[in-house]
Amino acid sequence: MNSENPIVQMHNVCKRFGKTKALDEIDLEIFPGSIIGLLGANGAGKSTLLRHIIGLYLADEGQCITFGCDAAKLGPRELGRIGYVHQEGELLEWMTTRQLIRYVSTYYPNWNRQLEEKYIEDYEISTKARVGSLSPGQRQKLAILLAIGFEPELLILDEPASTLDPIARSQFLDLLLQIIQNENRTIIISSHILSDVEKVIDHTVIMKQGRILLDCGFDQLRERFSRVRLSALSGELPAELPFANVVQCQRSNGQAILTVQDSSEEQIEEAAQGLKCKIEIQTLTLEDIYKIVVS
Amino acid sequence: MGILTVNLKHLYQRRGLWLVYVCLGIFVFAGIAAALDKPATGKGKFIILVASALFVGFLSAALAAEVVNKPFSYCLPGHRKVPRKFIFSVGVVTNLLASPIFVLYPGLGWWQWIPVICSAFFAGLVFYWIGVLSAFVVRNSGAWVGFLPWLIIGGGFFDLHITIERTIVENPLGVTLLGAFSSIAAWIWLGNANWARRYCGVPWIGLFDAWNRDKLRKYKQLRANIKWDKLKKHPNPWVERFFLGRMNKCDYIGQGRYIWGGLYTTYGIVLSQWKGVLSCVFLALLMLCFLCYMGSAATFMLFFMPGFMIMHMRTPLYSSIPVSGGRNERFYTTMTLVAATAVLITALVTIIAALTVALTAIMPDITLRGSTFTFHPAIITLFFVPLLMIPVGSTFQLIFYRRPIFMVLSVMLLFMLLFFIGNILRKPLNAAMVNPVSIVTLLVLSWLIFVLVLRRICMRRCLVGQGRAY
Repeated sequence: MNSENPIVQMHNVCKRFGKTKALDEIDLEIFPGSIIGLLGANGAGKSTLLRHIIGLYLADEGQCITFGCDAAKLGPRELGRIGYVHQEGELLEWMTTRQLIRYVSTYYPNWNRQLEEKYIEDYEISTKARVGSLSPGQRQKLAILLAIGFEPELLILDEPASTLDPIARSQFLDLLLQIIQNENRTIIISSHILSDVEKVIDHTVIMKQGRILLDCGFDQLRERFSRVRLSALSGELPAELPFANVVQCQRSNGQAILTVQDSSEEQIEEAAQGLKCKIEIQTLTLEDIYKIVVS
Repeated sequence: MGILTVNLKHLYQRRGLWLVYVCLGIFVFAGIAAALDKPATGKGKFIILVASALFVGFLSAALAAEVVNKPFSYCLPGHRKVPRKFIFSVGVVTNLLASPIFVLYPGLGWWQWIPVICSAFFAGLVFYWIGVLSAFVVRNSGAWVGFLPWLIIGGGFFDLHITIERTIVENPLGVTLLGAFSSIAAWIWLGNANWARRYCGVPWIGLFDAWNRDKLRKYKQLRANIKWDKLKKHPNPWVERFFLGRMNKCDYIGQGRYIWGGLYTTYGIVLSQWKGVLSCVFLALLMLCFLCYMGSAATFMLFFMPGFMIMHMRTPLYSSIPVSGGRNERFYTTMTLVAATAVLITALVTIIAALTVALTAIMPDITLRGSTFTFHPAIITLFFVPLLMIPVGSTFQLIFYRRPIFMVLSVMLLFMLLFFIGNILRKPLNAAMVNPVSIVTLLVLSWLIFVLVLRRICMRRCLVGQGRAY
């Protein structure tokens, strides 16, 4: 358990849009310094949850507190500590890129000009181009710059890499790794590109139909699930395999691939001792874990 | 189900079209009634029904264009050729129904019926193809529909309806040939291999897209890009310096920075194109001069229009631009912005109205086709109306932001109601209008309602939605 106070506290938050229950009794605490991967299918409620944190949405029931303040009452003092990359965010199309950066930076006393210049150079953002003429990828890069330029304590990234090309995505991950160096920085990243997310996160929140299915540390989560590949040394494997908590099982030609939950490596090896088979134990990727959890 | 059948189903599946059919029905009814009511030659009464093919052509082509415009439809088997069949089917059926009206044309012998009806059929097809062509050329159905009344008024003014009607009856062979040739040309054009490719995926404003903010913005953006890239024109640096300078003089935590920021994001682009603004003012003045010749009552529009126009202004309230302003900052920024706009527009409208008063002395009477038109100045005592209408329009904009069609309809209904009441209670209202107490009461009431609604929305509602439109 983290000893510090959480910077975001959601208690029993419910939100409806007409007949759709977008958030259903959400309880969540986010502690400073954590990098949280917010995962879920389209329409799971990820963006809705993020918008509650910064007060763009208001809960029908429950309470959302950000930086100790009711999210509905967040002001410049608190919002000046939050960077937000909006999914398909609005930008001022008629300004040039440089003008937009200048305009947004005017709101933040701690805007980092060095970071801005470095980012513009690394990401090859054309400062003379009008925002409206930028490609979706360029727009996204600009939106990321506007969110990180003032070095916020809480960075909320809602599908930040969805429109980036592979090279820009890789650069973006490097940038995130740099940002993470600052111990007090908290990042919430919602993304469908799980292979990218798993490189940076230390905490996972998985949502489905407005509910949080899973909320735990990423290392803890990886330890919970293992993939066991059994290859019979001679003949077939027995019909009944002596493993507990098997989530998935595939068998063919003297081989079996099992996904087991809540079993340590020692427990698995001990159970496999009497089977006369070769055993390989692997950890699962975040994508595999996600599929198991949501199914 | 055949592809053509699927296309034809659009004609009844879109509920918005039902309203269009009602309007078309009224038009057709008027056409038949005009022809039946004391049929007379040389009055152009018979052309109404045939000319309605212009609108039908536009309608069918706009529907077909919307289908062709969708990238997925390009790859559907046989779909590239179906719009042609669809457009032709509608055209032929429409004109087969409309052209027999000429049976009632006075003085026609029975042996003349077939050539004249044939002539009317093909004349209708010519109208129809003009409608079809314009739907594909304009790419913005809303603009076309807005242009239609002017077309009717203009055509009527120059007696085009009489000329065309006479040509149909007196020169059936020529009209038939013209219609046949135009139909062949349209058939070839719509069947061109490049046709579907040319319209696939291009920005397009369909019949009912006037309410689709996302689509409208993308369309406008694309137009602006083309225009600006050609002109190499960018927002003026002095505008940026002015507003950012004002913002920097304010405290980071206070409201001032956000208010100046809101003014910048709303007026920055307007001030950067001051030549365009002056052109608009000049155009407004020209239109007002035209209205002044219609009578003083017509100039009411000058004072009431700002109430409509304000509904199209983007307010910082629903903005998702990443700045650090909270709900309170959005409230004060929006309120200041609307107030500043109201003051500016009221001043502008008053200046324009004063100009019409000054022009009264020099504007001559115009005699046109036997009628004399005198220049009447705008009623300058109504100068306060924009101050009254802007908070009303803004209140409707706030309430119906996510449902623009309700926003426009509700304001239109309200204004119609006001005109209706105004007509009934003309005398007591006239007395009230010159009474400063009632004017001030109305002003205070409208602003109070606006501020209360704004406050409630700022503090209790979701401020963004799914997508860029919010």
